Amino acid sequence: MSDEEQSGWQLTESDPGVFTELLKTLGVPLIVDDLYSLDSDSLANLQPLHALIFLFKWVASGDSESGPGSSSGTYDPDFQGFFAHQVVNNACATLAVLNALGNIPSLPTGPQLGELVSFSTGMDPQTRGLVITSADWLREAHNTLSPPSAISLEGLNLPRKSEDAYHFVVYLPVMGALYELDGLKPHAVRHSAYSEDGEGWLKVAREVIEARINTYPMGSLEFSLLALRDDPLPTLQSKIQEAQQAGNRELEHELLSTLTNENAKRERWAFENSLRKHNHVGLVHALLMAMAKSGKLSEAEAKAKEAMKTRIEQRKARGEDMDEDD
Amino acid sequence: MPASVTNDTLLAFKAGRAFRRDGSNVVEADPAKGAILLTNGDDGLLHFIWKNRETDVSEEDLIIFPTDATFTKVDQSNGRVYVLKFSSSNQRHFFWMQDASSARDEEFANNVNGVLQDPEHPLQWGTSGSSSSAPPAQASSSSTTSTTPAAAAPGFQATPEQLDYLQTLLRAGGATTGAAEAAAPELEASLVDILTPANLTPLFTNHPELVPTLFPYLPPDLPMPPSAEVVQRIIHSPQFRAAVASFDQALRTGLLGNLVRQLGLPEEAGLGIAPFLRAVQAKADRENREAGGMDTD
Repeated sequence: MSDEEQSGWQLTESDPGVFTELLKTLGVPLIVDDLYSLDSDSLANLQPLHALIFLFKWVASGDSESGPGSSSGTYDPDFQGFFAHQVVNNACATLAVLNALGNIPSLPTGPQLGELVSFSTGMDPQTRGLVITSADWLREAHNTLSPPSAISLEGLNLPRKSEDAYHFVVYLPVMGALYELDGLKPHAVRHSAYSEDGEGWLKVAREVIEARINTYPMGSLEFSLLALRDDPLPTLQSKIQEAQQAGNRELEHELLSTLTNENAKRERWAFENSLRKHNHVGLVHALLMAMAKSGKLSEAEAKAKEAMKTRIEQRKARGEDMDEDD
Repeated sequence: MPASVTNDTLLAFKAGRAFRRDGSNVVEADPAKGAILLTNGDDGLLHFIWKNRETDVSEEDLIIFPTDATFTKVDQSNGRVYVLKFSSSNQRHFFWMQDASSARDEEFANNVNGVLQDPEHPLQWGTSGSSSSAPPAQASSSSTTSTTPAAAAPGFQATPEQLDYLQTLLRAGGATTGAAEAAAPELEASLVDILTPANLTPLFTNHPELVPTLFPYLPPDLPMPPSAEVVQRIIHSPQFRAAVASFDQALRTGLLGNLVRQLGLPEEAGLGIAPFLRAVQAKADRENREAGGMDTD
């Protein structure tokens, strides 16, 4: 049985737009952004910044117990914060988000998330993980952004394509120390304490993450970094007005430019999310009808057959299995 | 256990099998020369047998209960492909006619269906669709083949002429002097290669009036109003391309009969890519005619 059949959690994309939509559903005024660099300026621009999420694809032959690139920290079995095990693979992204949110003090949340977090107080990580994955409302929120199963491919016994195993690790400050929360590890991992001066916890986080990246052989790992931060939009408008009133044109223009970029990004996310939720079968049919009406379909079909033939011949020549990634 | 041609063989004709390859969703014709036989077994039950004409071994022997199965032409496919399907299960067995001439395909299929519904169905030979009364065993009419089967033989006993014909079929095996065996069904196209931006963009440019026909099928919660530009963005998007690949995969299973009806297509359109595309073309031609014709390029 597939992960989805057993648990009902569907596979979703790990895209800032998907995460941010989930946060909105959870009633949390934070967003997730791609982080392209760990340098101080890039990080400073994203303040107030609450957590970093390190996202990577497993590459075969990892030691499943400790994983490649094991961290330098130590297990903290007495961690008093919020830490849940990953019990369902497809839920890994949402679980990582919750491991972050559960440790942000005074975070405004919707009522369901608030209840879930307080209900799980004092639980061990495994139980907390089970509680999270059994929360129907959470699973539904998570599944909203995976393709609709109007065509349920599950019952058709299609060969599963080799799915990329993504893994998420959260880094954030809890009670004066940098913690690493990895749902596949038995405990939260404590790295060093940090001082509040300057960059604060981000300095330690940068060191730990860079050290981790450097433990992988070159090119064996695909990863990305995400930043969990306050949503800048609500305060941007008022900041722009303040700058206007203070006659600070430079700041005003800078903020306006930020606002424009931010709005463009939200529109792009909204566009992509609407595509993710949509059942495209009707559109596929309508496009084929349009091609057929304009007399272009047979020609396209003939060319497509040729393309398929060539592809199969090339694969045969290379001795590969067919239909792996068409 | 090799099936012998006895009085219990109701009918037989040359046919090959087609399968989904392991690890793949493409239905591919198996080139082995074979025959389909319908027989009344010793168990008193109807047997649908596929026999390999070269080895003389029955490789498939299905027991069929009356009305449980149908033998249907995959109507809009290029090859002469038929599917044996069951109402009691999801089983599908694909076959392709191997006679050089397709003149008798319908006749064989109708008789098969008749017998599947009722083993005592009177076979009908020499009916419409079969202009020639000679069994089309080899294209280069060999003199060793049998004579014409009797027309409309009553009951379910094969006539001596038919038995002769069957013997020839089953023993001739590879002796097809210069005969052209029916070609295997062609490779199927993938929707992913058809619905490419390269194919679609010129379509929108040359037929702008077709673009609004797509609007009802776009996501309802787009953050901007529908337009040709939005359609372009969508067809280029990874989400749309993944949806095309996913639908292509599902269609290849041949199990989408119900879903395609919701699109206003006949159930047979759900049997695979080629039938689906044929059905789409047929519907488009019909709508074009009704609209009074339209410029095709």
